[in-house]
Amino acid sequence: MLELCPILEFRGVDTHYGDLHVLKSVDYRIDVGEIVCLLGGNASGKSTTMKAIMGSVRPTAGDILYQGASLAGVGTAERVRRGIAPVLEARRLFPRMTVYENLEMGAYTRHRGPEFEEDLARVFTLFPRVEERLRQIAGTLSGGEQQMVAIGRALMARPRLLCMDEPSMGLSPAYVEQVFDIIRTINRQGVTIFMVEQNANMALSIADRAYVLQTGQVVLSGRAAELRENELIRHAYLGELKVQ
Amino acid sequence: MSDYGVLLQQVINGLSLGAMYALLALGFTLVYGILELINFAHFNVFMVSSFVGMWALELLGISGQGQVLTGLALAGTLLFAFAVTMLAGGVLGVAIERLSLRPLRGVPGTAAMITTIGVSYILFNVILLTVGAGSENYPNPLPVVRWQFGEVIIELKTLLIWGVAIALMMALQLFVNRTRLGKAMRATAQDPEAARMMGVDVDRVVVTAFFLGSALAGAAALIFGLYYNYTSFIIGYTAGLRAFTAAVLGGIGSIPGAMVGGVLIGLIETLGGQLIAVRWTDVIIFSILILVLVFVPTGLFGRAAPTKS
Amino acid sequence: MTRTPARLAVFGITAAALLFPLVNQNDADIDSAANALAFAALALGLNIVVGFAGLLDLGYAAFFAIGAYAYGVASSWQLQPAWSGFWEPFQWLDLVIRFHTAGGDVVHFQVSFWLMLPIAAAIAAFFGVLFGAPTLRLKGDYLAIVTLGFGEIVPIVARNIPSVTNGAMGLNGVAAPRFFGFDFGIDATPYYYVGVAIVAFLILTSQRLKDSRIGRAWMAIREDEVAATAMGVDRVRYKLLAFAIGAAFAGATGTFYVAKLQTATPEMFMFPVSVMILVMVVFGGIGSVWGVVVGALILQILQSWFLEDLSEWLHALGRFVGVDWLQHVELASSIELIFGLILVLMMLYRREGLIPAARRTRTLSLDEQTVQPARSGFTNLAARDDGSRLPLLEIVDLAVRFGGLVALQSVELSVPAHSVVAVIGPNGSGKSTLFNAVTGLVPTDQGTIRFAGEEIGRLRPHQVLDRGIARTFQNIRLFPNLSVLENVMVGMHARLVTGPVGAVLRLPATRGEEAAARERALEILSLFGNRLLPRAEHPAASLSYANRRRTEIARALAAQPKLLMLDEPTAGMNPAETLELADQIGSLNRYGLTVLLIEHKLDVVAMLADKVVVLDHGEKIAEGPPAAVRRDEEVIRAYLGRSAVFA
Repeated sequence: MLELCPILEFRGVDTHYGDLHVLKSVDYRIDVGEIVCLLGGNASGKSTTMKAIMGSVRPTAGDILYQGASLAGVGTAERVRRGIAPVLEARRLFPRMTVYENLEMGAYTRHRGPEFEEDLARVFTLFPRVEERLRQIAGTLSGGEQQMVAIGRALMARPRLLCMDEPSMGLSPAYVEQVFDIIRTINRQGVTIFMVEQNANMALSIADRAYVLQTGQVVLSGRAAELRENELIRHAYLGELKVQ
Repeated sequence: MSDYGVLLQQVINGLSLGAMYALLALGFTLVYGILELINFAHFNVFMVSSFVGMWALELLGISGQGQVLTGLALAGTLLFAFAVTMLAGGVLGVAIERLSLRPLRGVPGTAAMITTIGVSYILFNVILLTVGAGSENYPNPLPVVRWQFGEVIIELKTLLIWGVAIALMMALQLFVNRTRLGKAMRATAQDPEAARMMGVDVDRVVVTAFFLGSALAGAAALIFGLYYNYTSFIIGYTAGLRAFTAAVLGGIGSIPGAMVGGVLIGLIETLGGQLIAVRWTDVIIFSILILVLVFVPTGLFGRAAPTKS
Repeated sequence: MTRTPARLAVFGITAAALLFPLVNQNDADIDSAANALAFAALALGLNIVVGFAGLLDLGYAAFFAIGAYAYGVASSWQLQPAWSGFWEPFQWLDLVIRFHTAGGDVVHFQVSFWLMLPIAAAIAAFFGVLFGAPTLRLKGDYLAIVTLGFGEIVPIVARNIPSVTNGAMGLNGVAAPRFFGFDFGIDATPYYYVGVAIVAFLILTSQRLKDSRIGRAWMAIREDEVAATAMGVDRVRYKLLAFAIGAAFAGATGTFYVAKLQTATPEMFMFPVSVMILVMVVFGGIGSVWGVVVGALILQILQSWFLEDLSEWLHALGRFVGVDWLQHVELASSIELIFGLILVLMMLYRREGLIPAARRTRTLSLDEQTVQPARSGFTNLAARDDGSRLPLLEIVDLAVRFGGLVALQSVELSVPAHSVVAVIGPNGSGKSTLFNAVTGLVPTDQGTIRFAGEEIGRLRPHQVLDRGIARTFQNIRLFPNLSVLENVMVGMHARLVTGPVGAVLRLPATRGEEAAARERALEILSLFGNRLLPRAEHPAASLSYANRRRTEIARALAAQPKLLMLDEPTAGMNPAETLELADQIGSLNRYGLTVLLIEHKLDVVAMLADKVVVLDHGEKIAEGPPAAVRRDEEVIRAYLGRSAVFA
């Protein structure tokens, strides 16, 4: 499919938390079919970026565009309906609902019909372990298993853009491998991925492009392969003020 | 009657009361589960609904316990009465949420709870000033039918209560476990932020919780009138205390907890009244409330402890 | 308000209060006024619990009941135990008399009203502690329910022990007070003046407590309990103190009320009465001393005069227009409806009440508003480093677990005196947990924490502060509605000694301590130049983010700590402000303060730290001077993440 406009764009976005200036005139561009990562150290503004995409935080300046149209005034539910689905930081499954019910909640904004069953089947193919645990209470699963369910839940919304907030956090290396493998598979199936990650090395190994944030500003950006060799990334992560 | 017989009869009575308290506690716990708000007004919604039920029955031409209906006429009348009462309760609950609680969503502390105390007062006094302080004779079309089992008597109205209560509780369980909106309610109670990210309209969920909870209070109110053959402005306070303790005992925010808690409190009330003294039942119930909150705040089924983080 | 108009107003009100019965000789009116004063006193007491300490008590009338029945029983014909030798000394003290009846000699209690006032207050205070103790760990609405429970149990018990209280029929024969031979009798006027005296005394007590170390401690608890304990406030003691003093107010008022009424019935003390007092406090202004008095008086006047007059007027109108129900409407009985409306409307539209407790602040001059960041550090601190480098803080083999999650594991850390040690690490590595463990906010599962040689791992947060460790928080925990100056003075809580008695009596020692404390607080604020001083009286919530950070540091300094623990102090600051603060931290260190710092800006760390400790996933992975740590492969990998297994 030939799509010329980026699926997601931030244009000069500012956000504030009270009088604290969090994101400072931030520009991102994500094209259809890419895997783009947002990297950065502590308090860089990564989580705020995610919240701004989902609509829990509104820009105080600038604009966020999805498929060419501005998201100003568009509520969270509507954004999900238009094709943006989140995989939340620390999973945040509904702890006392079953795995199946969590998946159902992922499809909340969509009509129940044959598409639902298709999506479910697709999730089971990607995550056979999830199918095994369908009737289990979500809170009793291990961290890695929960991450699988969380991604599955997001996929149930049949998103065009999957926004992942720190998918590797709290997972063992084995699970991190699996998760990143699955991310690549999903991407090949046509889902654009925007991923916030603390683990720069891992992220750069599967990303096409990346942005590096430091105290709310984009200090580096480019193709992942180039960034991996770039010394400056280390400075940005270690919070050194040189990179401005 | 032997002691054993008396006790058994009190158990029957306790289960009937318990069913009513369970319905009342459920409404209260539904709202708490989502908003973490103690809604004092709930119990006077119950009281107001009982008057609505009374007026509905009077509308059908029934007054006092003299006119008895049977068969289809009875079923139809009861259906009508329950429908009207539950609807009235539900609408009143939603109105309260919209007008007095939604503006306070997000205000930290006890402001919302204090507001519910105010609303509760308003409801209580409107009834007191318009209808008066007397006890109203409740129109009751139920025939008085009794069955004797050994030393114990079970009346038709007892079966009615159990029937209605069980039916409603099953309906509620079906709703929260099988319907889309019901699951959205459970999800919102567990993680409102994540629920919003799934596209759930949290406002709609809150309104639904209030409507359902208050409708259940309405059902409990009609049951109260039919069981006791009276209603008055004060019943919100007396039944309310017990239902509230039931919800806390069962684990505030937990639906099965409210059901179990309700039955337990009903039994405690009748057996306590029988074994100790009726005039001390209030103190017993209050003591249970305090003891649970202080020592076992999660109650029987609950998970979130109401302590400061 | 500035002082002179305020003083004039108080003088005017006092004069009006004293002259009232001479102007309006109607006994019923004076009686209503005396009742109104009783409720003003109750509102003042509840204001301490709800307004100052932030504890929502829905059963306050219980203490009113306790005070009432205490006097009622101690000074009436209710109890008549048989006479025996045991009672002789009490007769000698004029507390009882021997009374001859047909059935034998019995004891008649006649404790003096004046003696009972403080005794009833003390008894009520005891119950205040008793009822308050179970609520200490509960959050706001649950605390309210438990107090409601107690509030209901008391009148029910009173109703059901008729031998002591005469149950629902009410105490009989409660003695009227006597004042040097003058019997109070049934005329309302002497009671009115006693009421004025009680209310005046309680206003004075409330005001003095509010403007003292005690009041600040209460308000700190109300605003942010965790931060309050971290700043040295013993929350258990102060919460119980609030309950006790609030209850004492009600107990004394109960005695007064019963003496005037000469009877007491359980109905006088039930939930609606507790709610009414709450409405008075909410209406008048939560936390405002004069506000709640005005609120109580207005609502009482509404109830006893205005509504009746309005009803009369409506009757006349009804007769005039020929509408029947208007002629019969009785507004006075709808007072509770009005209370409900007031509660709802106040909560929705004016939560701060009629006379808000918060103060207005003056606007700042342009000069005061603009400040340039300076890089000179704190110039008015003399260096006091004594050269010793012994470990001030020693952490050995520390482990902290939250359920199944291991937050900290085998952590060893040593902070030499007069040094700056920085703790760094990626998100979730356990840095803040480490701080919380040291300051007692989080329990430790293993290991020891030694400060100046003393094991502090088991101490509660206010005790840790007392030993000399003060901290700031990652997401700034100031007391938002307190002024900047008050915030800093809370930091001094552990270094001052004034207690409630001293606060009320305001002896020279207390006044001196308070003045010195205020001066010291201003001194600390002046360390930050023009940034905080002009805003000293402004509520902390109104400050900019950076200034709130500075205020938090000033508050920690006020505690005269030996070890200052700063959790990401420069977060949210621009580079210029960051460097300014870094310089200031450097001066504090040269002044003698040992600093333990969580910081993720490594330039700052390089500037300040003698030693850097790196945490990752709850374990220490590196330690050393900043330059070395920066180059350490392990550290870099921790931040940037483990390498991919696949390319």
